[in-house]
Amino acid sequence: MNTVLSRANSLFAFSLSVMAALTFGCFITTAFKDRSVPVDIHVSRVMLKNVDDFTGPRERSDLGFITFDLSANLQPIFDWNVKQLFLYLSAEYTTKTNALNQVVLWDKIVLRGENTKLNLKEMKSKYFFFDDGNGLRANKNITLTMSWNVVPNAGILPLVTGSGHMSVPFPESYETTKSY
Amino acid sequence: MLSIFNSIPTHMDYKGQKLAEQIFQGIILVSAVIGFAYGLIIEQFGWTVYIVLAGFAVSCLLTLPPWPMYRQNPLSWQPALPDTTGETQQKPQENLKKKKHK
Repeated sequence: MNTVLSRANSLFAFSLSVMAALTFGCFITTAFKDRSVPVDIHVSRVMLKNVDDFTGPRERSDLGFITFDLSANLQPIFDWNVKQLFLYLSAEYTTKTNALNQVVLWDKIVLRGENTKLNLKEMKSKYFFFDDGNGLRANKNITLTMSWNVVPNAGILPLVTGSGHMSVPFPESYETTKSY
Repeated sequence: MLSIFNSIPTHMDYKGQKLAEQIFQGIILVSAVIGFAYGLIIEQFGWTVYIVLAGFAVSCLLTLPPWPMYRQNPLSWQPALPDTTGETQQKPQENLKKKKHK
């Protein structure tokens, strides 16, 4: 504390410790919060094709095309410990070979300060909905759910699944469009 | 070049050092509490950081330079002895001996 440099050193170290304590406080005030909100998913059209999957088993695989509507109010998720949300829509279904298949169809990043009211109509999926076989045809229970990663300023990176899902039956034959 | 910097007086006396430490700790803690409450209310952690940084800047300004208020209790040194040879060099030893006896 005798010279300018030693005073600057202790001042900086003390400020840094205080800032670390505040960051921990920011984490602890939001750590036990429920970040799940209701999501309304509606599927308007489903189309099924049987095409060559060059990335997979080199056989003709099922490829689904889903058109969906999505609406959710994400405002309750945001607080002072949230930088952004990574939303993703995934399809879950069971086939003969796999008890659980999960395919991500669509995703979106919602930054802090952006519009938090999701109201999307007639959305096409961003990624291919390929099954690794022929498990999509006549599959009666393909469930769409929306989940999100909460990216915080400090602390854990929670993975939350929105409440509300939509189950759609897939068509019995290829190259046919089915509207719901 | 460095001698110019070394010639700038930067020291504080002991009471001044204690006062400076108390002042910067107080300012930063108060700004941290204010910043935390404000950030929690407006839901912006960035403002918490800005307020703590403002407290840091204010305490830098208040405690880094050796302001006169930190130099009000200077140590009372013995008066400088005239630098001579021979007889006068023995005098400080006599003084020391006297102090030891006391």
